[in-house]
Amino acid sequence: MDAREWLLVSTLVFLVVAMVASFVRLVQGKTLWDRILMLNIISTKVILFVATLAVWMDSLILLDIAISYGIIGFLTITLLSKFIMAGGREK
Amino acid sequence: MTVVAYVIVILAWLFILFGLVAIFSLKNLYTRILSAATIDTVGTMLLLMGLMAASKDIADVIRLLLLVVFMLITGPISSHVNIRSAYLVGIPLDMKDGDGHA
Repeated sequence: MDAREWLLVSTLVFLVVAMVASFVRLVQGKTLWDRILMLNIISTKVILFVATLAVWMDSLILLDIAISYGIIGFLTITLLSKFIMAGGREK
Repeated sequence: MTVVAYVIVILAWLFILFGLVAIFSLKNLYTRILSAATIDTVGTMLLLMGLMAASKDIADVIRLLLLVVFMLITGPISSHVNIRSAYLVGIPLDMKDGDGHA
């Protein structure tokens, strides 16, 4: 295991730790918008995780998966925010 | 694989760590969303550029560049939409935690 693989694997471990910390904050959840913010940050971390995994495994398909996951995360945040802005389920 | 990739990836770790510290320590909703979103965008850019320096194939570099452009466009937009929905619902700008709203 050379230095390049060491760097990539420690990046993967660090991203998993960051995701767990963000998930703790999502469960605590001070307000609704805090939870949406944590969802945004976790989706960004998942994209970075998949991209790092793709570079580590030399796989082009995983990079395409990362790009499409980015599109799905953006749509999730935008549509949830518009739903809340229109009044949520109460209206 | 050069020293450049090491330096950029370790800078990205520092930025992501600062973003987590900001999320856990700030008291105002708007300050939290602003600092978390901007620091997170910078960390994403730096980590993807470090991966570009660490990858071996040119096709990897092109896809990572596409991902950088996409994240640079959509990250600020999604945090802006989030903050706008909080403001239009009626959270006051100087609300501290535990003021009884929401």
